[in-house]
Amino acid sequence: MTDRPGKHRALLRSALKRALILAPILPALGADTREALLLGGPAVVAATWLSLHLLPPQRPLRLIRFLALLPGFLWRSLLGGVDVAWRAFHPRMPLNPGWASVPSDLPDGGKVALGAEFSLMPGTLVAGTRDGRLLVHMLDADQHLEGAVRLEEARIARMLGQPDTAHESLPTSGAGPS
Amino acid sequence: MIDAASLLLSVAGLIFFLAGTVGILRFPDTHSRLHALTKADNLGLGLIALAVALQAESWAAIAKIVLIWALVLLAAGTSAQLVARVALQQGGAPGSGRDDAGPDAVGSTPSGQRDPAG
Repeated sequence: MTDRPGKHRALLRSALKRALILAPILPALGADTREALLLGGPAVVAATWLSLHLLPPQRPLRLIRFLALLPGFLWRSLLGGVDVAWRAFHPRMPLNPGWASVPSDLPDGGKVALGAEFSLMPGTLVAGTRDGRLLVHMLDADQHLEGAVRLEEARIARMLGQPDTAHESLPTSGAGPS
Repeated sequence: MIDAASLLLSVAGLIFFLAGTVGILRFPDTHSRLHALTKADNLGLGLIALAVALQAESWAAIAKIVLIWALVLLAAGTSAQLVARVALQQGGAPGSGRDDAGPDAVGSTPSGQRDPAG
């Protein structure tokens, strides 16, 4: 492709990181004997190769920051489940569905990650993008969305190793359900 | 003690699965139903996975449960977006009742494009 050594090194680093993510799947599947690893090792290499082809590395993924996001994400997805279950069981079914479109500067992969996260958070669901704006469906149209989007966007941007310009304008009110 | 915790977590998980189903039946439009399906079922599975993990006999078994749950989580977050996008393009699934007017109803900058997301 190219003979610039910096680019090669970046590609190699991405490959190693992805292999590091994929490799723990092997023991989880029960492949912990030497014979199993003879098959599993090449499988990890093949999966890494496929991953690099399907999603070429754009920005370096910060594994530590990705892991740091997990607890908060799990907690908010728990809140999301409780929130929607409460609305479903409530006799009067408190719903006030509506739409919002929120601008986002994340790259495409980052938008998908943000969308997946928002689809599990309380009261929000992403239905694709239009002109770089996320189309967000809300169970409660009065929900304050902009703050939560900025907050999550900044987190994902940091995970993707972008310069976090959005950091200064972080609002404090945020991811709550109401 | 651990059995009691497993039992409690499974029952809680089942309640959230039930909530997801109730939401699909009661909620008025495709997108609201998708909220119920994605979020409540995801939490239900998480609780049941936790209940089963407490009964697991090896770390490998726990790792397998975590892997399954992580894959389902990933799939739920992704497929919810895809279904939501298609439902938006088609103006709500047939028989879903009145889906509201879509993002165009919001007072955001008008884009002039009829077809969202290309």
